[in-house]
Amino acid sequence: MQSRTSFFNGTLFRKNLTRFWPLWGLASFVGALFPLALLLQLMRRENFYMWNNPLDFTEMYYNVAAYGVPVISLLYAILCAMMVWSYLYNSRSVGLAHTLPIRREGLFLTNFLSGMAMMLIPYVIIGALCILVSVVGGCFDPKGLAVTILTVLGLSFFYFASATFVAFVTGNIFALPAVYFMLHFLAVLLDWLVSTFAQGFLFGLSGGYTGVVEWLSPTVYLEDQLRVDSTYEIITTQTSLTGAYSETNQLTAVRLEHFWLIGVYALVGVALLALAWLLYRRRRSESAGDVVAVGWMKPLFRFGTAALAALLGGIALYELFWRNFQDGRYYEVAPMLVCMLVAGAIGYYAASMLLAKSLRVFRGSWKGMALVAAGCVALCCVLHFDLLGVEDRVPEASQVKKVELYTANNNYTFYPDEDAELLEQVRTVHQTIVSDKDDILEGYDRRMWAVNSGDVEYVSFDVTYELTNGLKVERNYGLTVTRDRMAQAGTYDNLLDRLVNSEAMKAKRLHVGDSRYDISSGYLYLEAVGDSFDLNSREAAAVLEAVGKDARAGTWGTYDWFENDRRDCYAMSLELSFTFMGEEGHLRGDWISINVRPGMDNTITCLKDLGLVTDDALRTYGELYPEDYQDYADYVEKYGMGAVEEAGPASVGVIGGADGFAAVVVS
Amino acid sequence: MIEVRDAVKKFDGFAALDGATLSVPTGSVYGLVGPNGAGKSTIIRHLTGIYRQDSGTVAIGGESVWENAALKSRIAAIPDDWYYFNQASIRDMMRFYTGFYPNFSMERYEKLKEVFSIDEKKTIRRLSKGMQKQVAFWLALSCMPDYLILDEPVDGLDPVMRRQVWSLMMGDVSERGTTVLVSSHNLRELEDVCDHVGIMDHGKVLLERSLAQLQDNMVKLQVVFQDGVNEVPPELPVLHASKVGRIHTLIMRMNAEEATAKLSTYNPLLVDAVPLTLEEIFIYELGGADYAVKNIVL
Repeated sequence: MQSRTSFFNGTLFRKNLTRFWPLWGLASFVGALFPLALLLQLMRRENFYMWNNPLDFTEMYYNVAAYGVPVISLLYAILCAMMVWSYLYNSRSVGLAHTLPIRREGLFLTNFLSGMAMMLIPYVIIGALCILVSVVGGCFDPKGLAVTILTVLGLSFFYFASATFVAFVTGNIFALPAVYFMLHFLAVLLDWLVSTFAQGFLFGLSGGYTGVVEWLSPTVYLEDQLRVDSTYEIITTQTSLTGAYSETNQLTAVRLEHFWLIGVYALVGVALLALAWLLYRRRRSESAGDVVAVGWMKPLFRFGTAALAALLGGIALYELFWRNFQDGRYYEVAPMLVCMLVAGAIGYYAASMLLAKSLRVFRGSWKGMALVAAGCVALCCVLHFDLLGVEDRVPEASQVKKVELYTANNNYTFYPDEDAELLEQVRTVHQTIVSDKDDILEGYDRRMWAVNSGDVEYVSFDVTYELTNGLKVERNYGLTVTRDRMAQAGTYDNLLDRLVNSEAMKAKRLHVGDSRYDISSGYLYLEAVGDSFDLNSREAAAVLEAVGKDARAGTWGTYDWFENDRRDCYAMSLELSFTFMGEEGHLRGDWISINVRPGMDNTITCLKDLGLVTDDALRTYGELYPEDYQDYADYVEKYGMGAVEEAGPASVGVIGGADGFAAVVVS
Repeated sequence: MIEVRDAVKKFDGFAALDGATLSVPTGSVYGLVGPNGAGKSTIIRHLTGIYRQDSGTVAIGGESVWENAALKSRIAAIPDDWYYFNQASIRDMMRFYTGFYPNFSMERYEKLKEVFSIDEKKTIRRLSKGMQKQVAFWLALSCMPDYLILDEPVDGLDPVMRRQVWSLMMGDVSERGTTVLVSSHNLRELEDVCDHVGIMDHGKVLLERSLAQLQDNMVKLQVVFQDGVNEVPPELPVLHASKVGRIHTLIMRMNAEEATAKLSTYNPLLVDAVPLTLEEIFIYELGGADYAVKNIVL
């Protein structure tokens, strides 16, 4: 006999589990297939060589926990929620549930616990089988198992709690998964949408996804942040029979990075659960069937849908109908406004129809629609006239923690303490670009046609400022540089040339004197003789030193903005690889591709001394492939550069190099 | 005692209950009647704890119903659209009810099995509408409730089963003092079982009396006036009048003695008081509240 005021009702709990057994039964069955297959393999000793260490199993668990469990829990939680909370969405079933002699907190807790049980039963079965597999493999690791269990518990709780929260926001079984997925991915979608939209208006703003609010989309964030960090040790063994040495990688440590995030999201789950309970207390049974069951959320839904539709639909309609008529690189405000209004109206009325469960929503709706229109106009005005000053913003040096720059086919990193002068130069170039905005935009198309003419070239100036307050300022400029302007002091062309071709920047490219970077290896391919070599760290260091000497001698490192081909470079690929410790504590890699030219005596001598290069290999691309370069030269000689311009840059491919274009292919 | 005082319930601005007040004495059978949309089901959903009133009080035995699990364990309700789990058999639902209702009597359940004679292992979904209704009664009566709240309870039952069900309920009323509130459009049936009646319209209870009081408050008279008097004298307070041949049928809101006394001043040839049926009371009471059925019925 049940307690009259119990917070938990065993009958209801059992009823839920027995009613919905096909769901958790199927999930258990599908999940159990994987450990069972592994067990069979182990029993047949097919994979015994794979599992010689408890950490191998732990690594496997962590991989599943980090990359599989968030997505699986995201999907499975909504299915469980749709089952246990389904009674809320039907007036008959909600009538029965609320007629029963149990308080709403009893219903809430019992249903939540039965849903959690449905979430966890498959994991328990799969986990038990995994333990069995570990034991059979002789590789049981209690710590790894505990971390995995906590991960599964935490994520299951968080996802089911979030699904439960959504279950009380809506009153419609079909709206439940739609709102749930919207909740989980809205931040990422909005991030991308707003960035893309703003990029269409604002000069230099980098488009796409910024990730600033990614933590609000837990699945994306967890997939990004949860990582398995494995440490391997190279074990050298000598075969007793042949005496030969062989190397194997032995896993010595494995950890789940950002494991603490599980705890944070579990706490968020507690908060969502508390909110869900508050919503249930205030929930009206008669809201069964409503798309939004909470009164104050209805305007939010109506205007939120309208805003989303205006942005997403506005961009889509603009791209579809106006992009081809657009003058310049940026959105034209009037057509965009029209597209936004059309899409916003569709979103607004669609949301109104869903809320009213009727198609007759037009009467008296002009006030809401006027608000949507005002919002669209305001947004377009703010962006078109840059009322927030985004375009002009160049952070002060004192605000900057780090600057990353990509230009002239190279990446650079600057720190204020070490590179104050270079950083100031970068800021000056940036400031000048911002000041020249009108000129850059006005002549952009015309100058783009002249790219490859020998006097005009396209160049990217992508700069990211990491500020001391943790924020980032990211700008991306597509520019054209000309010989004329480069000769004029104070133009961005001139300032950029002075920056890129400064001695300090050449040293930066080679990481000279930068203790963060260690030269680790290299690679050399000699096209003339068809030989290739892997350079060890000592050989690579010797080559790097030689290139440095050539840089100081002025025979390497000067970036020629208008040089389009490699005809005068030796037909060889020389790459040097570096390692450095990333800020997140990971060892990361960097590399540089060196175009070796006649005159780089130090480098050539070094390569010869190392026994890597002979005179036979020292042939330029022009000498090796005269027909390729002759064709192009003949074409230009015969028809002039105007013909190339007339044909247009139908396809311009740039193959990068550290010290200039490796190749430019025009088709 | 079931008591509702000034209950107001609005759905998107529409007042489904607009200050409804009713009281059901303990141990009585109370018939709640009213036109479609009057608010009968809404008031019942308040009495079973499904809805919460915007204002006013809804109490049973002096206690508020809302979120009162102890009180609700003494209430059994059968809504007009009774819910059962999709795959559940009668036995499954019985087990479910036993987990909630502390007074659920297996002895009663077994006895009622003979009355309803439906295979308890059958899936309820596969039963006819009438049989599903029988199952609802079977389980509700097995809960041994002190309060039975029924919304259109005998819809779909055959005449024999109707009598059987009413008989069972009357037995509970007389033996256990069960209080029954029943909403129905079958006024003829209610007349046989109810001792109290409430009439609802537009979210209000227009009147509630014992059936005897109600019948005493309104009278139907068949009158034959003297020669030359073809029309009912206009000064008579008649709710409704009709004429077949020389016989006038008059409905008056007063008791039979009073009405006869008023008519005697006209020296009628014949005055005969006929008791009104509940259906007639319902029609003429609501006729006063602009309920437009009088022309259809008469």
